[in-house]
Amino acid sequence: MATAIPLFASFKYTDSLTVVGISFCTALVCKAISWILIYRTSSYKSLKSSIDKASRKLETMKTDNPSSKLTNKKSKTKKIDRVESSLKESSRDLSLFKFKSGAVVALVLFVVFGLLNSLFEGKVVAKLPFHPVTIVRKMSHRGLKGDDSTDCSMAFLYLLCSISIRTNLQKFLGFSPPRGAAGAGGLFPMPDPKTN
Amino acid sequence: MRESKSAKLNQLQQQQQDNHQNVHLSPSKLAKLFDPDASWDKDQLGDVLHWIRQVVGLICGLLWGSIPLVGGIWIILFLAISSGIVYGYYAMILKVDEEDFGGHAALLQEGLFASLTLFLLAWILVYSLAHF
Repeated sequence: MATAIPLFASFKYTDSLTVVGISFCTALVCKAISWILIYRTSSYKSLKSSIDKASRKLETMKTDNPSSKLTNKKSKTKKIDRVESSLKESSRDLSLFKFKSGAVVALVLFVVFGLLNSLFEGKVVAKLPFHPVTIVRKMSHRGLKGDDSTDCSMAFLYLLCSISIRTNLQKFLGFSPPRGAAGAGGLFPMPDPKTN
Repeated sequence: MRESKSAKLNQLQQQQQDNHQNVHLSPSKLAKLFDPDASWDKDQLGDVLHWIRQVVGLICGLLWGSIPLVGGIWIILFLAISSGIVYGYYAMILKVDEEDFGGHAALLQEGLFASLTLFLLAWILVYSLAHF
């Protein structure tokens, strides 16, 4: 028993697990802060509800029977414009509301990144199974010595952890921004920066 | 006026029924995932496609890190495989009209970036821990 080797002692890149673990815990802490400052407030709930309603109304109005008289079309277009501007206003208010509370979360992330940087500066935390392109290599080989482009720095691994864990956590907990809000559900749906 | 009122009442009753079903009947939810006649909300379909991509990303990352498969070409192949699975699901199993949901681009991009990062994370971790 005295000679038993701890489970991960034989792995060369156990630092990667530390980075993932810290990233996961940070994501949970950020979500908790966001929930306290944003998601449980009545302002957020009412804004989200109005955005959802406006989006649905807009979709219904846009998909209604287009073959109508000119006067009806004009009044319908006016109604659509009114709903769209109301949707934009609510989205803007939501963004502003989240922005104010997001500063605390941003501070936590800044501190954690600084801590990780001091712990793993110059260390290879993982090995990439591919040679990254130049633009990615600047992040993946950040602060590392040598020319081996498959050496992975903490910054790149932390970035991957942040995006994947926080996006999915946000989705799982139901805190994703409504699809009707500006920027929601785009090609690169980063975790909402104002809450994370 | 009367027709729109009764339509609204029907809609409200349907919503209440759906909420009741959502809370109590998970087998019907599972059945809905493979039912081409089921009606889909844009948000619901988007969420399902998102999670399908995450599962595919995780499985591919774990698998390719274990074998191991090495090289940037496997990233392209992962994107092709996961997009193919998502397309096959909504076009052939669910048979939804993509125009009702914003077109192929809108459906194919659901969860794309998150799944790519999850795939890379799983692939890198398994490869680093299992082969060094």
